Amino acid sequence: MRHQQLLSPYYLFFLALSLFAERTSAQNPIIRDQFTADPTARVFNGRIYLYPSHDIPVAEGARKDWFCMADYHVFSSDNLTDWTDHGVIVSQEDVPWGNPSGYAMWAPDCVEKDGKYYFYFPNAPKSGRGFAIGVATSDLPDGPFRLESKPIVGTSGIDPSVLIDDDGSAYIYWSGMGIRGAKLKNNMMELDGELQEVKMPRREGMPEMPPMKVGGQQMEGLPEGFKEGPFAFKRAGRYYLTFPWVREEGGTETLAYAMSDSPLGPWTFKGLIMAEHANRCWTNHHSLVEFRGQWYLFYHHNDFSPNDDKRRSVCIDKVTFNADGTIQEVKPTLRGVGIISATSRIEVDRYSAASEGVTTALNDTVYPFLGLHASLPKKGSWMTFGDVDFSMITDGYVMLCVKADENTELTLREKSAKGKVIARAKVTVKSEITRPGMPTPFRRDQSGQWLTLTVPLDYTPKGIADLVVTCEGTAVSVDWVQLRNRQQYFTPVAKNTASAKPDEHGFIRRWQLMEPQKQDIRSNVIFTDSWLRKTFADELDKLPKKAKWYAMESPTYNMKLFRFAEKYGSQAYGNLFWCETVFDCTEDISDVRLAAGSNGASMWWIDGQEVLLLEGDRRMVVDDGVSHRLTLKKGRHTLRCAVINGPGLSDMCVRFIDEQGKPITNFNIQ
Amino acid sequence: MRQICRPIINGFSFNLLTINILTFLFFPSSLFTNRVAAQTGAPYIHDPSTIAECDGKYYTYGTGGGGLISEDGWNWHSGAERPGGGAAPDVLKIGDRYLFIYGATGGGLGGGHNGRILTMWNRSLDPQSPVFAFTTAVEVASSDGMEDCDAIDPCLMLDPTTGRLWTTYGTYFGAIRLIELDPKTGFRVKGNVEKDVAIDCEATDLIYRDGWYYLLGTHGTCCDGVNSTYNIVVGRSRAVTGPYLDNVGRDMLQGGGRMVIAASDRVCGPGHFGRTVIDEGVEVMSCHFEADFERSGRSVLGIRPLLWRDGWPEAAKPFKGGAYSIISVRRGYSLELAVDFVRIQQERQAFWRIDPNTPVHPIAPQQLSDVVDTWPQGEIAIRCSDYMMRPHQHWTITPVPEAGGYLGGQYCKITISDTERALATTADLELTTVPAFTGAPEQLWRIEQLTDGYYRLLPKAIPGREGINTRFVLFSAADSTPTLAEWDFNSDNAKWKLDAQ
Repeated sequence: MRHQQLLSPYYLFFLALSLFAERTSAQNPIIRDQFTADPTARVFNGRIYLYPSHDIPVAEGARKDWFCMADYHVFSSDNLTDWTDHGVIVSQEDVPWGNPSGYAMWAPDCVEKDGKYYFYFPNAPKSGRGFAIGVATSDLPDGPFRLESKPIVGTSGIDPSVLIDDDGSAYIYWSGMGIRGAKLKNNMMELDGELQEVKMPRREGMPEMPPMKVGGQQMEGLPEGFKEGPFAFKRAGRYYLTFPWVREEGGTETLAYAMSDSPLGPWTFKGLIMAEHANRCWTNHHSLVEFRGQWYLFYHHNDFSPNDDKRRSVCIDKVTFNADGTIQEVKPTLRGVGIISATSRIEVDRYSAASEGVTTALNDTVYPFLGLHASLPKKGSWMTFGDVDFSMITDGYVMLCVKADENTELTLREKSAKGKVIARAKVTVKSEITRPGMPTPFRRDQSGQWLTLTVPLDYTPKGIADLVVTCEGTAVSVDWVQLRNRQQYFTPVAKNTASAKPDEHGFIRRWQLMEPQKQDIRSNVIFTDSWLRKTFADELDKLPKKAKWYAMESPTYNMKLFRFAEKYGSQAYGNLFWCETVFDCTEDISDVRLAAGSNGASMWWIDGQEVLLLEGDRRMVVDDGVSHRLTLKKGRHTLRCAVINGPGLSDMCVRFIDEQGKPITNFNIQ
Repeated sequence: MRQICRPIINGFSFNLLTINILTFLFFPSSLFTNRVAAQTGAPYIHDPSTIAECDGKYYTYGTGGGGLISEDGWNWHSGAERPGGGAAPDVLKIGDRYLFIYGATGGGLGGGHNGRILTMWNRSLDPQSPVFAFTTAVEVASSDGMEDCDAIDPCLMLDPTTGRLWTTYGTYFGAIRLIELDPKTGFRVKGNVEKDVAIDCEATDLIYRDGWYYLLGTHGTCCDGVNSTYNIVVGRSRAVTGPYLDNVGRDMLQGGGRMVIAASDRVCGPGHFGRTVIDEGVEVMSCHFEADFERSGRSVLGIRPLLWRDGWPEAAKPFKGGAYSIISVRRGYSLELAVDFVRIQQERQAFWRIDPNTPVHPIAPQQLSDVVDTWPQGEIAIRCSDYMMRPHQHWTITPVPEAGGYLGGQYCKITISDTERALATTADLELTTVPAFTGAPEQLWRIEQLTDGYYRLLPKAIPGREGINTRFVLFSAADSTPTLAEWDFNSDNAKWKLDAQ
């Protein structure tokens, strides 16, 4: 059975995604690489742990169009946004009493008592119908868990939830012919009290079933209508029993709750925690947990499977309690909770608020975990993504993954749709013909395709701010937005800085770089020896007196002149770079060679004498060419180079090497 | 390539290029007779993917979309299909499916350096196949346009020692990067962080051989026709993650690389390496040549024997027809007709009696006409003996264009020089010569240079056996006795030297 599944590429997708413990930074849904449902969240040792059911596509031989759950994963987080998947903790094949192909691993729970973790889970037994509730134990919240050989006697049902009272007494609740509750014995694995014989309801056309022995008691005071998935907790001395509830005939599940002064009721029904899902996703299932002073509702919704509500995904939203202990109804949000770093992928389709007409959809209907995107239908449409942390952005730019049918424009703003512009991105999907009649082999119509645009920031918000995406033209779709800091290519060298040695491999990293001299070079095929000699001689003659020089140190062995031009030049491509460095030898160094490489052609002079020419359309290679043997006399020397490049990533590296090719390092660079 | 293309499009060196091409067109091409360099048909492609096989046909995919198909590996024509456009794809068969990887963008052309690498699957390469359908392409890597990388030109390598799937990508804009993919899905392995392994390369490829990982990259300038300086270099590493060092110990991160192939034989500008192992010890490399001097300087598919010298790959020259002696590697004996040895007449004196001051004169070699009348008329058997520069040991190997070809070469006839007497295979896997070449498949030979530089020779067919022969090669049963036997790279009995006369 397992092996047959492996043949399905769809299954392989999930397998591949689940092979490695992985952190995902998440908005709602919070787990974005697999389905998760029925979340029970617990706080252990200051960290939040999530024990959900694990929906998978319907397995071979399992009931079609039904839930399918073969194992449990556990996830954890310390900030509610970055979740680590600790992998499978219990699988249906490993349960000694279970049906290895039952696919009925419904809502679990996990509690800690006296340093030991008890994982409760429903499962189909090896034989007979119905369900039973099993236990597995561990010394750590993420396992490994040891499975008990038998299920808990008297628990014929699903969706266990365990409450440990202040006095250490434990109570278990489950769903099976209504919601039942029972006290657990001290061993946490047996029901306290006698079992009762319960008559099984007779099914139409089926033989009468023998009565069943069931423990605990029916929870009283709950409303009429279908109920399942109990989750019980205690807050401020009051007991809460919360549960999915179908309040109307033909309806879908809400989340509802009742309160009591004792753990097993009777209960007073209080109302809803969350109304039915707007898209009629039939189930909902939940838990409530307090983490760092704030209460959160964990629940599920079928975001990654909009056409099949039996593959679900866990979401989180904040919960507020009234002074009398009642719970304010929670409206589900896409944004969820937590602060999202500006340098993580911000899934803006999970917006906190949006203008009318903004829609979201899956990027790919076959592979749902390729995520969702939002579409802004017209000029003026906007969506706000709350609580983005910009504090780490110093020299930033932003990437936007966007799609459009026509050329359009969008902006990122702070706070509101009229807020300060962080960045403005033109979306050009149909490029204009620059010159009629010229070949355009790579010009393509990119309408309807996902493009990743990169644009500089006009403004960087301070600290935590709301990010707003606005449409400034025709319709545009946005998958994600991500900020990054620019790499630092040079460090300016302050005046009066102490002299430096070349690096351990002999490379000279400290230079005076003249501001790039713009050149009209369309192609490097012109870089012949004679052209270069003439050009460099002419340029040297008219070396601009007023040009600005920059003292720069490179963190790498090479000087990335292209990046220098990008920052200090009028254009990045098509430049002549004059570079100079002064060094002192404390003794004569004989029989050395200047060894250089350059992207673009280059010429090298020592004390005004040409020592090396690298001609042609070159890429930078260490020790690409060397000078004749030289003697560097004791005293001061000037090394000058000119690098010229048209459409290339201008770059150079240089060092002195000896007869054996070993670097020379015994001189000081001023 | 991306560096030079933009100016060409803008017009400046485009004019230069046109002038060069025109100059060339007026050059009398009859001066160049040995036309063997590239494949036949219409093998026009840029950045060919590693050659893939599907249902007995060969496929390679190029920049821009589409690709070439060949039924025999020699005659190539367009017709392969790949959606998505962009630059420099690669294809690899994994299980019963083909994984495609390609750069969806143009590497600075028509936009910036926001590159995207995508993968997709197909169950067939044959557009006519009922199972031919691409899965949705999935992004596995990207570059943001600001960083020192442009995510185009990807390759695929399935590590035979671990089963892990690796990709390098990038171009002259910054670094070449290594990432790991999941061979079951073609997706990026979760949590995998890209690693820089080289600079200043385009169209890289990764291969594994004998404990070494090899990173092949294209240096030089492309897209300048007959003036393109594209060339393929290599570095190697004991670990797939590098460092990739060249033969003088220079890291490819510092521009290092040892030449694998440059211009030769009327083609220039080789780029985009791909390795195909045909048999143990029989390998070819595929690439494109920026310009085929026989085809108006157009960019064409090239397939060359791949040699391994001291653990370094080197492209061999394409096999040319011509006059050869065929020497067994077993003992060094020469393949010859089993005919009477005819002595060359000469005046002789005992060497110790010769006055050293006696003038010398050249002795004419034995001519075919001196001996041919002593040979039987019908079939003549074949044997091996020490090479004596005699006509019955001199063979002329001539491509037979109408006989088609195989991966990288075309079938040849092997005749005694200046005669029509042709080497042929018999139904009982022995050898003979027939008085005249008839074009029969048992008289046609596939000649492949081996990774060690020697050759193997296979008859196209064996009388009485179905199909094209790929099993039986010319083989030394004994020092003096050639036969046909199954290919065995580890036996010198299966290998031959071809010494040009």
